[in-house]
Amino acid sequence: MQLQIKKELDRLKGLGASYGDARWYPMEDAEQMVMINGNLKGNASSNESGIGVRVLYKGAWGFSAASDTKNLSAVFDRALDNARAASQRVTFPVRLAEKETLEASFTSPSKQDPFTVPMAEKVNFLADMDHRMDQPGVMQRYGILNFVKKQIMYVDSEGSQIEKNITEVFAFLQVVGMDNAGVMQSRTFRLNRTGLTRGWESIDREFFATQAERIVSELNQLLVAEDCPKTSGSVILKPMQMYLQTHETIGHALELDRILGYELAFAGGSFVTLDDFGKLRYGSEKLTVRANATVPNSPGSFGFDDDGVPAQDNLLIDKGILVGAITGRQMVEEANAKARKPIFQGSSGANRATSFYRVPIERMTNINIDAGNDGSLDDIVSKTEHGVVLEGDRSWSIGSNREQFHFGTEMGWMVEDGKITKVIRNSTYQGDTIKFWNSLSAVGDESTWELVYVSNCGKGQPNQIMQLGHGIPVCRFDNVRIGE
Amino acid sequence: MKEKILQTLRELRAHAVQQGAEVKISYHAEDSHLMRFANSAISLNTNEQLSRLEFTAFDGRKRASYEMISGLDDLPKLKQGIDHAIEMAHHAQALTYDPTIPLYKEDFSDESGFDAGLADLDNETRLSYFNQVAGGLETEEIKLSGIFSNGTNTLALINTRSEHTQYYCFTDCQITVVLAHSRLKWEVVAEQSAQKKAELNPAALHKRLALMLDLYQKGKPEQLPLGKYDVVFGSAATGAWLDFAQYIGLDGGEMKRGGTFLAEKDYGVKKFSDRFTLLDDATRMETFPFRRDYSGIDRGVFPIIEDGVFKSFVWGQDDADEFGVEPTGQSVMHLSLAVKGGQKPVNSLEELLAMPRDRDILFIPYIHYIGIVNPTEGILTGSSRFGALLLKKDGSVAIPYNVRFTQSLLTFFGDGIEWLSSETVPYNTSRSYGARNPTAIIVPRFMRVNDLEISHSNQSY
Repeated sequence: MQLQIKKELDRLKGLGASYGDARWYPMEDAEQMVMINGNLKGNASSNESGIGVRVLYKGAWGFSAASDTKNLSAVFDRALDNARAASQRVTFPVRLAEKETLEASFTSPSKQDPFTVPMAEKVNFLADMDHRMDQPGVMQRYGILNFVKKQIMYVDSEGSQIEKNITEVFAFLQVVGMDNAGVMQSRTFRLNRTGLTRGWESIDREFFATQAERIVSELNQLLVAEDCPKTSGSVILKPMQMYLQTHETIGHALELDRILGYELAFAGGSFVTLDDFGKLRYGSEKLTVRANATVPNSPGSFGFDDDGVPAQDNLLIDKGILVGAITGRQMVEEANAKARKPIFQGSSGANRATSFYRVPIERMTNINIDAGNDGSLDDIVSKTEHGVVLEGDRSWSIGSNREQFHFGTEMGWMVEDGKITKVIRNSTYQGDTIKFWNSLSAVGDESTWELVYVSNCGKGQPNQIMQLGHGIPVCRFDNVRIGE
Repeated sequence: MKEKILQTLRELRAHAVQQGAEVKISYHAEDSHLMRFANSAISLNTNEQLSRLEFTAFDGRKRASYEMISGLDDLPKLKQGIDHAIEMAHHAQALTYDPTIPLYKEDFSDESGFDAGLADLDNETRLSYFNQVAGGLETEEIKLSGIFSNGTNTLALINTRSEHTQYYCFTDCQITVVLAHSRLKWEVVAEQSAQKKAELNPAALHKRLALMLDLYQKGKPEQLPLGKYDVVFGSAATGAWLDFAQYIGLDGGEMKRGGTFLAEKDYGVKKFSDRFTLLDDATRMETFPFRRDYSGIDRGVFPIIEDGVFKSFVWGQDDADEFGVEPTGQSVMHLSLAVKGGQKPVNSLEELLAMPRDRDILFIPYIHYIGIVNPTEGILTGSSRFGALLLKKDGSVAIPYNVRFTQSLLTFFGDGIEWLSSETVPYNTSRSYGARNPTAIIVPRFMRVNDLEISHSNQSY
């Protein structure tokens, strides 16, 4: 098949294409099991295969995809036709940053293939967790297992040929109950990185049982808790909320396609401009952020992106100053040309597509915050006069240029005079992005740092759902509007 | 092609019957085209031809499904898919209720929503449309973005209970055109949803954008003080709030699970403005309707809220099975929500601008990135985007920086509604993460709601 693809790419070059690549998925298997209140409501698996072809003609992209690969030439021809049509409206001809020509492969770390595990064992696991969550105070119980295994063969007209074999495991437990004011409350556990491999071995029954017990206990605390007060003070975010704060107001804001205006039709832009790189004080000196696609065992570590560029570890924010972005081959060339200076030294290897039938766009890898030296969560709480500790994303809404945000969390704890005084519910906070990150006053040490998995980041048109990660410590922000 | 699809389904059904299994078979095909614009260029031009087969097998109360992206030609492979689903069902856990396998008593086919002109649209037409909309409006600083998405959806169903099939084929089109100031970062938008080629109207979008550009270039920007405002929502904003109401208000299964702000005790109770009527109206072609649901139930006009009184939840088959109620015909990929128009003869932006006003009016055409803050109380949050205006009582127009609303749906559609436009329009709410699923909600062109609080106000664009 790869030989056929190479021949087709050569043929298109003969027809005037300046570049082409193809991603052939011989197979992508997925399995999802959803148990709600003991009922296996969802029990689905799927198999996909097909090819996506991207062609550059006179500075314009064309893309075509098909599940049926019998008439391969037709798929390539449609991609070229689409590029020819697009070339009628070009304002900045697409150029691609230099890259190394590679013959390489990547396999995500996994010990036990989840697709070899008998269904009965998976069902038994969910039933066991459901039973453990079936406790007083719990009105609804959810357990979800998601497995994906895919093989991707990448070939481009510059001579690169890359094979990727990726296995993903996502798992989710949630309990829901009605509080004493008649409002639904929830507590959720999502599987994050627990080791250096991610196969069926990460579904550790004992560990999940502990988590099930924890979320039931915390839900029952919420059911009789007081509401989050409307106040101003410090917000201490644990990793299961801090990851989303980072995702929405650093990650998306620093996607170079958004910065350059390529997502204005839907997802939005960014308050960041090309002039800001190297100058903008994005956050306090305690803030150092990197896009690190080399972190072991994360959905945001994938070996090579869909431009065929190797995974990298790049600084985005260095001691509070904006220094980098999430980039692919096309956008760095355009940004450097528009800025009339070399802001970016080549692609950062972050151009990814969610499937063979979608085109690659800039996506987050692992957008991580370096651990700080402000100690443990307890240390940070002990040095906080008035505020809240929050975790568990419940709602999120962000301005179209990522300039402001409103978040709601599942769980909160009041902090007064250096001590946690009580559990609070219906917690929210909001702010302006730059002001908020500049109010960062404490960053937890390595003991607070967790690698959080994200299975459902949406972006682009047609919409694409992407998997990634965030390595995040506990952080504290001051003078935040809380409870509105 | 239709006959090939149905014949293949019949052959697959025969295979399932031979295995002695109960199986539902679903075929979905899409031919999708998307021309995307950014920075006044075509940034992406794509098409996808995908077909999916889903087999759901039952073993008593056990159930499992297997989906393949595959063409129809490889029958042995498809039969293996059925075998796989049957095998999965054997190992599944029994449900606590009896899942229904519908009995189709006749063949059903609906191609009334198919338009050959839209299905066969070419690249030149898509580009020409955008050139007409943007003609003369772009500058060095004002850049064009947007999408022209059109496609054909085909869905066919059969199961082992009978040889009869259900077949649906329809076309759709979603167009968004954005003009954005690359330095100041303000944006204005014009949108269109279409079901037929003849409905394409680039001149209307050009007119709307020209007016908005003029207002934005001449108007003075302002950061609004926090507080209460009389707000006129455009059709996109109203449609966006209602889109979320589906998830946290209208679904019977979600209600039983405690995830809605409406409850069974609300049947027959006036919960909203008496000016507000909401239907699931499968007679409205603009919503890309399914006129018969997957359980074989005919779909027509189904009242959800009438004159502010809550009438009914919607019940898909599976939730109806679980909770022991009658399904109401909503086992479909999307509802056909329609809000009844009002009395106010204000049906264009020009008419809204010219309307006499004794108080300032905040015009919010579009809501960006809605979050569900509290489903039990129906509280949503979202920010304005794409061309808000402050229509001052002295007749002038200012340009407000974006603002945030954090309110209950009971407030958005409550007694604060002053008026609804007499005309309604479809607002396209398609979000095709997986299979193409065109969706639109019928809403009044404008809806005025008094005394709505804004919870955040931006300091710049």
